[in-house]
Amino acid sequence: MTAIYTIWGYYARWTARWPAMAAFVPFVPLIAAWGFIAWLEIFPPVFLPGPVEVVERAWTLLYKGILTDYLADSLSRLAVGAAVGMCIAIPLGVLIGLSRRAHDFAWPILLFFQAIGDIAWLPILLVWFGFGLTTMTFVIVYTVLFPVVLNTVLGIRSVKPELRRAAQSLGASKPRILLEVTLPGALPNIITGLRNGLGYGWRALIAAEIIVGTSGIGFLMFDARRAGSVEEIVVGMIVLGILWYIVDSWFLAPIERATGQRWGLVTS
Amino acid sequence: MKSLALENLSKTYFDPYRGTQHTAIKDVSLKVDEGDFVAVVGPSGCGKSTILNMIAGFVPTSGGRIMVGGREVRGPGPDRGVVFQSFALFPWKTVAENVTFGPKMRGASKEERAKIAEEYLALAGLSHAADRYPNELSGGMQQRVGVVRALANNPDVLLMDEPFASVDAQTRMTLQEELTKIWEERRPTVIFITHDVSEAVFLANKVVVLSKGHVLEEVDIPLKRPRVWDDLVEDEAFKTLSNHVLQLVRRA
Repeated sequence: MTAIYTIWGYYARWTARWPAMAAFVPFVPLIAAWGFIAWLEIFPPVFLPGPVEVVERAWTLLYKGILTDYLADSLSRLAVGAAVGMCIAIPLGVLIGLSRRAHDFAWPILLFFQAIGDIAWLPILLVWFGFGLTTMTFVIVYTVLFPVVLNTVLGIRSVKPELRRAAQSLGASKPRILLEVTLPGALPNIITGLRNGLGYGWRALIAAEIIVGTSGIGFLMFDARRAGSVEEIVVGMIVLGILWYIVDSWFLAPIERATGQRWGLVTS
Repeated sequence: MKSLALENLSKTYFDPYRGTQHTAIKDVSLKVDEGDFVAVVGPSGCGKSTILNMIAGFVPTSGGRIMVGGREVRGPGPDRGVVFQSFALFPWKTVAENVTFGPKMRGASKEERAKIAEEYLALAGLSHAADRYPNELSGGMQQRVGVVRALANNPDVLLMDEPFASVDAQTRMTLQEELTKIWEERRPTVIFITHDVSEAVFLANKVVVLSKGHVLEEVDIPLKRPRVWDDLVEDEAFKTLSNHVLQLVRRA
């Protein structure tokens, strides 16, 4: 029993020093199970390659520079799309959240277009813009837009009325109240919207790359299917997962900790 | 600091479910002299918070006038500082930033604000907590910030809406003593809303008993100052006055 505690103690100290490792450990049994099933060869290796083959393939792709190039393409598309999406969505959400009239006007339109999923736009976008960057950017902007707008509206509306009243009776003008009270109060919700938006946007981008792409992770995976390389498809899938984990835990979570959690607006 | 006068103030609400007008306040007249401390008590639903919200300018009046220093007021403004029951501190601003919010809004320089923060945090006994966020403080400490945030903006009158109702009983007594001390030193004009009769008698020079939207009685509180709970709990005059006000409130 004490031996187990000792090992557990080592593990706890080790993961406290290397938090990234703590995130990897849960995958160990998963990879082991995958390797075991692949080794049993229940399915032909062409259909289900083992972890070793996939890692080898990933190394080759990295070595040739294809993986890094495609990764950079996908990430920059996501970054551009997300930036444009935020620039439209946050002001729009603030406007709808503040003004009854803007809300009454924009809400039905928002709900209508939200129902037309991002992918459902691809046929007409291909007709309009062809197989190119414009089409993909449009899809990402479209996907990022709705969660950010809806959460911004929610955030603006959930700012306690007493806080606005307090600011008013301390002499704050309307623009100052927006800047000092309404926006910071809505920030935790805006970040949640961004988190959802980026998550959906990432998935939409891969789908768009599969259909539209000439490069990118989605293109890599679909191209691999054409070439019959299951290893490459699996490499693509793993890269998607790892990348999202990095974006979420290295960028989004720290922002959340520094704002809403620090202020006691959201509990961790 | 300036005087505050309510002249024939009234408030009616439209009740959308019954389709009728509901009278919350009818014909309330009240005068708070410059540097005076008036407490308004009454059972819940008597309209005491409505009166405060009208003075603060958060809700419009239906009739009558509100005068601060001889000038009629409309809408919220920095001439009337408000202390809220829910504290209403800005969670994303530190204690010092909360206290200097008013001065910042009127364009005070950074140095000026630092001086104001130092003075008022010392007044609240919170100099050590200047850089903390409100959610890191206890309820009592948060409301100390709420009080000095209103004071630091130099209002003509201070409006307090059941400010100590959501802190524990021991802290409440401490806060009441601290408030009396601040008032005795600085003499702001205060209107203090509460449902706690002994709190009203302890703090105020005059207690106004409100019932169903009108003034039932104004009771003068001639207790000597400085007031501390240790002296007053056994004080006969305090007991008699508290009992008198309590009877009025219970009848209200």
